[in-house]
Amino acid sequence: MGFFLVMKAEIIRSLIIMRRYWFRTLTGMAIGYGMLMVLIIGFMSSRDTITDAVDGRFADPTTATNFVLGFILGMFAFGVVGMFTQGIQGMAQSGVLEQLCMSPHGLIVNFLAKATVGAVTSVFYSGIMVWLVTISVNGVLYFDAFPVIVLLTLTFINLLGFGFMMGGLTLVFKQVGQVAILIRMALFALAIFAREELLEINFLISAVMHALPITDAAICLKYVLIYDQGAVNGEYASVFTHPSFYFLILNCVVWTSIGIACFKVMENWSRSRGTLGTY
Amino acid sequence: MTPDSGSLVSLDGIHKTFFTRHFFYRENDDARRRIYVKKEVHAAQDINIDIAPGKIFGLLGPNGAGKTTTVKMISGLVKPDKGAVWVEGINVEKSRKEILKRIGVVLEGTRTTIWPLTPMENLRYYGNLKNVRGSVLKKRAHELLDFIGLSEKKDVQVRHMSRGQKQKLAICIALIADPKVILLDEPTTGLDVQSSRAIKDKIIEMTREHGKAVLVTTHDMHVAQELCDTIGIIDQGKLVTCKPMNELIEVFSESVFEFRVDEAPLLDPLRAIPGVVQAEVENGNQSNTKLLVLHLTPKEEFRSEALYNVVTHLRDCGIQLHSINQRQQNLESVFLQLTTSSI
Ligand SMILES: Nc1ncnc2c1ncn2[C@@H]1O[C@H](COP(=O)(O)OP(=O)(O)OP(=O)(O)O)[C@@H](O)[C@H]1O
Ligand SMILES: [Mg+2]
Repeated sequence: MGFFLVMKAEIIRSLIIMRRYWFRTLTGMAIGYGMLMVLIIGFMSSRDTITDAVDGRFADPTTATNFVLGFILGMFAFGVVGMFTQGIQGMAQSGVLEQLCMSPHGLIVNFLAKATVGAVTSVFYSGIMVWLVTISVNGVLYFDAFPVIVLLTLTFINLLGFGFMMGGLTLVFKQVGQVAILIRMALFALAIFAREELLEINFLISAVMHALPITDAAICLKYVLIYDQGAVNGEYASVFTHPSFYFLILNCVVWTSIGIACFKVMENWSRSRGTLGTY
Repeated sequence: MTPDSGSLVSLDGIHKTFFTRHFFYRENDDARRRIYVKKEVHAAQDINIDIAPGKIFGLLGPNGAGKTTTVKMISGLVKPDKGAVWVEGINVEKSRKEILKRIGVVLEGTRTTIWPLTPMENLRYYGNLKNVRGSVLKKRAHELLDFIGLSEKKDVQVRHMSRGQKQKLAICIALIADPKVILLDEPTTGLDVQSSRAIKDKIIEMTREHGKAVLVTTHDMHVAQELCDTIGIIDQGKLVTCKPMNELIEVFSESVFEFRVDEAPLLDPLRAIPGVVQAEVENGNQSNTKLLVLHLTPKEEFRSEALYNVVTHLRDCGIQLHSINQRQQNLESVFLQLTTSSI
């Protein structure tokens, strides 16, 4: 109940801000698009020199789309976790955090609503961007709405758990924000390079990869959007039967429990150390 | 233990100590040494406060005394190390969410408002966070902006408003859920005379008519003297005194005496007289006389003895005494007297 009320407030707030800062919103997207294109072209051409391909830049569009999708997913992960780390740090400095703490709905509900609204907005933007870039590089995306929505939701829940954990740490140790940037970068890279082959190197690496919050999500999403759930390579197998999908669900459950538990403990600790404010 | 029945807010033996750890660099003869220091700050030591409905409690104290910390402990933002806080008979630590519905807080100097939004949008946002919605929220938001004098700014983004206007909005936000208990941390800093007047009047009205309990911290003695029924003075985390306003001033007025004399006596022998706490000479209005101001002990049985001794001493020195007066104190001098030790 409280969640929806907070969510409504949050939606109204972000719509107003988006409208009021429309110029920033638009230029942000334009810059994102430009950056992505430059990166792709760079990526592709360096690849070409290495493999000595002669077929021209975008001979294999799946490589490009793979990269684009990974990149945008990475941005998404970067953003969701950032909402907790940098977000909390900023709000502590401005004093908004203390106001949120004094909301009877509780800090967790407030952040849940904030993150959900943020994620939906960013999925919307990223969607447009993925689409634009894919067109520009002649790629093909197979958009099967149901699995995509399920996967995106799971990805979000997965990141949320991780975000809550990082956010909890930021509540107590304000300097975590800096370290968190590194971790977010790592997530970002992981989203780009996550491939099934990565899971087959050896047991240790595959265990670590499964434990990290974005790998399985990225693999599943790529499986649907780029390989049309296997149909591209001949045999169709629904993503819901893919092993990574089960790992993703497991990952969600584990990370959310850890995240929320950690957040609660840290919230309490931060209240006893008085670090909800600027201290 | 249950709280004192009949009071809306009750602090029961609150303790809070903060620890800060940091590295400290010390220049040695040849090297710079890094020392790890751990410091303790006692922000609250055994604080007991009760605020009855319809009463305004003023918390005064020098910088860093622990006023903001106390406010934060009542609002559940800081957890006390020891002791309990009760609001409307509910323990803050045990059911924090219940408490949060009942209190409105203005924290000092923080940017609680969301800058890209207008005051109206801010009030709606925070109203929703506080579980107020629909037509009630709309009506209350309009009323609050009207009373505080922000209605013509209600569609201007907060970032374009002045500091005082932001402060007014912060007060409106604290009042949006119509709380029973209101905690105001330095509410009138940065406000112009009219606004701070208006806010004082509104606080008094709300308290008296709607039976709210208010806690105000301030550095402005006039505000405190006009507003508060009870004054608590806190210094280095200790509640030095906690008395009804008039009693507090009376007690201190009783112990300050003005002696109009024809020439200034030496002060040290006077200070040596038992029962004399403080002695100083002020220049009187009439140029030919001096004003000797003595602070005597508040304990009555020693005071008369001290007075006799002072008069005898003045006569022995051959100083002519024109008159003796009991000085009327105000809150400021009382405050200074109680907290000078730490300055
Ligand atoms: N979270 C914290 N960590 C460490 N020290 C703290 C923390 N919060 C407060 N303190 C310390 O506790 C003491 C009391 O602080 P507080 O903010 O309550 O003072 P105050 O009475 O409100 O002062 P002012 O009049 O300047 O507002 C200060 O010495 C401050 O440095
Ligand atoms: Mg303060």
